Amino acid sequence: MSPNLLLLLLLLLMFFSLSITSSLSSPSPADSPPYLWPLPAEFSFGNETLSVDPAVALIVAGHGGGSPIVRAAFERYMGMIFKHASGRASLLARIRFLRMVEYDITSLKIVVHSGSEELQLGVDESYTLMVSKKDEQSIVGAVTIEANTVYGALRGLETFSQLCAFDYLTQSVQIYKAPWYIQDKPRFQYRGLLIDTSRHYLPIDVIKQIIESMSFAKLNVLHWHIVDEQSFPLETPTYPNLWKGAYSRWERYTVEDASEIVRFAKMRGINVMPEVDVPGHAESWGTGYPDLWPSLSCREPLDVTKNFTFDVISGILADMRKIFPFELFHLGGDEVNTDCWKNTTHVKEWLQGRNFTTKDAYKYFVLRAQQIAISKNWTPVNWEETFSSFGKYLDPRTVVHNWLVSDICQKAVAKGFRCIFSNQGYWYLDHLDVPWDEVYNTEPLHGINETSHQKLVIGGEVCMWGETADTSVVLQTIWPRAAAAAERMWSTREAVSKGNITLTALPRLHYFRCLLNNRGVPAAPVDNFYARRPPSGPGSCYAQ
Amino acid sequence: MRGRGAKIAGVLPLFTLFMAGAISAFEDIERLRIWPLPAEVSHGGRRMYLSGDFKLVTEGSKYEDTTGILKEGFDRMLDVVRLSHVVSGGRNSSRSGGSALLQGLHVIISSSTDELEYGEDESYKLVVPSPEKPSYAHLEAKSVYGALHGLQTFSQLCHFNLKKKVIEILMTPWNITDQPRFSYRGLLIDTSRHYLPLPVIKNVIDSMTYAKLNVLHWHIVDTQSFPLEIPSYPKLWNGAYSSSQRYTFDDAAEIVNYAQRRGIHVLAEIDVPGHALSWGKGYPSLWPSKNCQEPLDVSSNFTFKVIDGILSDFSKIFKFKFVHLGGDEVNTTCWSATPRIAQWLKKHRMSEEEAYQYFVLRAQKIALSHGYETINWEETFNNFGSKLNPKTVVHNWLGTGVVERVTASGLRCIVSNQDKWYLDHIDAPWQGFYDNEPLQDIKDKKQQSLVLGGEVCMWGEHIDASDIEQTIWPRAAAAAERLWTPYAKLATNPDKVTTRLAHFRCLLNQRGVAAAPLVGGGRVVPLEPGSCLAQ
Repeated sequence: MSPNLLLLLLLLLMFFSLSITSSLSSPSPADSPPYLWPLPAEFSFGNETLSVDPAVALIVAGHGGGSPIVRAAFERYMGMIFKHASGRASLLARIRFLRMVEYDITSLKIVVHSGSEELQLGVDESYTLMVSKKDEQSIVGAVTIEANTVYGALRGLETFSQLCAFDYLTQSVQIYKAPWYIQDKPRFQYRGLLIDTSRHYLPIDVIKQIIESMSFAKLNVLHWHIVDEQSFPLETPTYPNLWKGAYSRWERYTVEDASEIVRFAKMRGINVMPEVDVPGHAESWGTGYPDLWPSLSCREPLDVTKNFTFDVISGILADMRKIFPFELFHLGGDEVNTDCWKNTTHVKEWLQGRNFTTKDAYKYFVLRAQQIAISKNWTPVNWEETFSSFGKYLDPRTVVHNWLVSDICQKAVAKGFRCIFSNQGYWYLDHLDVPWDEVYNTEPLHGINETSHQKLVIGGEVCMWGETADTSVVLQTIWPRAAAAAERMWSTREAVSKGNITLTALPRLHYFRCLLNNRGVPAAPVDNFYARRPPSGPGSCYAQ
Repeated sequence: MRGRGAKIAGVLPLFTLFMAGAISAFEDIERLRIWPLPAEVSHGGRRMYLSGDFKLVTEGSKYEDTTGILKEGFDRMLDVVRLSHVVSGGRNSSRSGGSALLQGLHVIISSSTDELEYGEDESYKLVVPSPEKPSYAHLEAKSVYGALHGLQTFSQLCHFNLKKKVIEILMTPWNITDQPRFSYRGLLIDTSRHYLPLPVIKNVIDSMTYAKLNVLHWHIVDTQSFPLEIPSYPKLWNGAYSSSQRYTFDDAAEIVNYAQRRGIHVLAEIDVPGHALSWGKGYPSLWPSKNCQEPLDVSSNFTFKVIDGILSDFSKIFKFKFVHLGGDEVNTTCWSATPRIAQWLKKHRMSEEEAYQYFVLRAQKIALSHGYETINWEETFNNFGSKLNPKTVVHNWLGTGVVERVTASGLRCIVSNQDKWYLDHIDAPWQGFYDNEPLQDIKDKKQQSLVLGGEVCMWGEHIDASDIEQTIWPRAAAAAERLWTPYAKLATNPDKVTTRLAHFRCLLNQRGVAAAPLVGGGRVVPLEPGSCLAQ
């Protein structure tokens, strides 16, 4: 058989199998709607299919184009996009080689206007992404991402990676429905996920897996609830006995570990907001310094009477300031049961001496902790009880963190405070009986109608409390439900509010969950009523 | 208060073990925190530190490592050791360790080849000196794959020193001589009931190396889906769940290569004729009829041509000496219910039972013609054992007593009794995995030698990328020690190894593997806050 005849036969075979495959009853990126998650603010697309060169070149421009953050992100995404074994030996690769067929997309141009790599609340995350066939006019290359900051460029790269799909027939990476024009920016500046390393220690590699997965859904704040009553895993050089409150020697973070987590997160455009939850969730502090307990038999909240208590808080915050550059610092302040203060003689005397009720002492504690944080150039975040108990005394810079009462943000912004929305009924990921659609339909601005008030809701956060979530289940408890909240916070309110979400969102969420799986993230099935349950039976990822 | 009481109850058994006063030889071993336990270990009481530029040295080794298997294995070992914490202590100066500084690992391999041969020597000898005789640890092995096992053991000796922020090895000097008890130590994955993406399979392979398992049994295809590209019959993967839930031929070759570089064989399975409905999506003539689609049509030569094509393609990428041909759970009703096949049976004077035998034996011959030795599930032995090709390895899953009968008949056997070693039985506790003895009731030495080993099976009906790791681990590790460690060193009461296994589970967590808690039985989630070591 002559090579040409063989080639012809191979081609015939391919077209034949193409017609068979198109009858497969499964979603393909070639079908509508566009399988992007979260949905971009504005986009348009066409009907062309473009192939992407595995050796696609990175071209950078602008003051920030040369940033190592951009280069590293490009390498990461190329690894994800071209994860199938190279088709060098494959049918079409051989044909391409024989015919010297060129790929449609051979370069990716990233333009970043600002040279600053500072990552703070409200950093510009907008970008535009253009994908089109090369022609005489577009000498700049076939794909262009343009952004004001490197972090906008990261968001654009994520979107680009979601346009790329491995085509099993040609065994190459394709972009369907080109040309694409996408103009995108987030609705909220704060899109958070809480992790809890006190109830269960999470190894560094696991925290990194979580951060990496957050970037796929364009979340941008990791709220690190480091310490609670159960354990104190972080090294604090100023008070070196504190991490004696860790579960074990193996379940600890050094200062360098924490810095590495912050660095890793920054490379993905994610801020890390640390929390020390005072005075009510701090029993573990006393393992190293028993003086912090009201008494040996009554250990929580922290002893409000001693200057030492506030010295330790100040020391912790001073040490953390060197690790965490983010402007927000979470001081907790929730669920303070003051019985121990009432029942411990020296604390009771102190209260009487100052003519304090226990509630006064609670206020005194929180406000004094706030001033320590502010003195270290931090903006304090506190759980909502502080606002509902003594809101008018809070520092006006305070960000109120909702969890308990559904209309607390409404009340807080009316008083001029900023607010983060985390309604426990819907956005607590440890509540396993909240299916994806309830997470999705929860609106942070519900009931808040004035534009000036709306602006004070800086965003929201899904909370992965750790009582029953350790390394073995944390990722599948987070995903895919965190993605539902992520789209709520990123995409326009119209896009996530109108229409039947079973049609507008569910197929895309199925697709995104499988994308997470394909990237090695163990996101649980979407369709189960209870979170993190195994698939109900054999079947396609896209149908579960 | 109720919760707190429960917490203490959960922790107690572990702590009593910790505190057990007099240190017997057994308890000393349990304190070593090596999993699976090596054949022979001795140690001292001194501390050594790893140099910041801990090196691989191979002077005197016959193995040249042109493929980089050893170098990559060494780098992976350092990566996992450094995964627990940022190593920021004094990099290489004497200040951080002085004479107690280990400069590197000297690896000497006596075989020059790195063909991954089944049954080859996996032994190694590891020596970590004491501070008086510093500078290099020594690792000797016959083959590079034995050396990889030695690297795994070395990685488990390394700990992070929280004060100096460097890697340390306690209790030096160490002398470890080690080799596996069984040559076949397998784990089955099932990519037909749920597709498993490539990174997930690679993660599973990496985690297998930590427990020194050495065979990935890839149950590729079944009734539900056919995810693999078969160049000879390109429509077969039309039976995939969707256009994207597929493996290209190159992907499969990549998995084999990835596993091989870690000393792991890939055993490919096509389960004929009973678990093959998805084949007919691309080639409907493989079905007895449109409404009776399983087992494969025994009467058609095309059926065997397709099997021949598949195995011919397999032989290009699956280099393991065995191929698995399934043969279990064959319900032959469709054969007599389909007039064309009923007629064929009549013409050939075959009962359904005989047709089943005819099918399996013909498939075996095809496999042999491609250079494979065949493995079949135990029903083939139970039904027509005397007719099986003598090179057949019988894979137990159903009953007890089969292993004895198989080896008595002179055939080889792999043990996977479902009551103990099926990981999809999620209420099966780790203790049962540890306890399951492959040589149970087999006294004859020759018969014992016919038991190649065992395999834990991760069937995929309720297992996808979201829950595979925690369903496999830590229970597979319990079986892995049973398969690796000398019988005399195994605990007669599995609860005695709880502390060491809990430590290994936490080590898996630290390495990013989502291994589940031990407390609670089977695959469980943590019930309450607590230390990894106590759950």
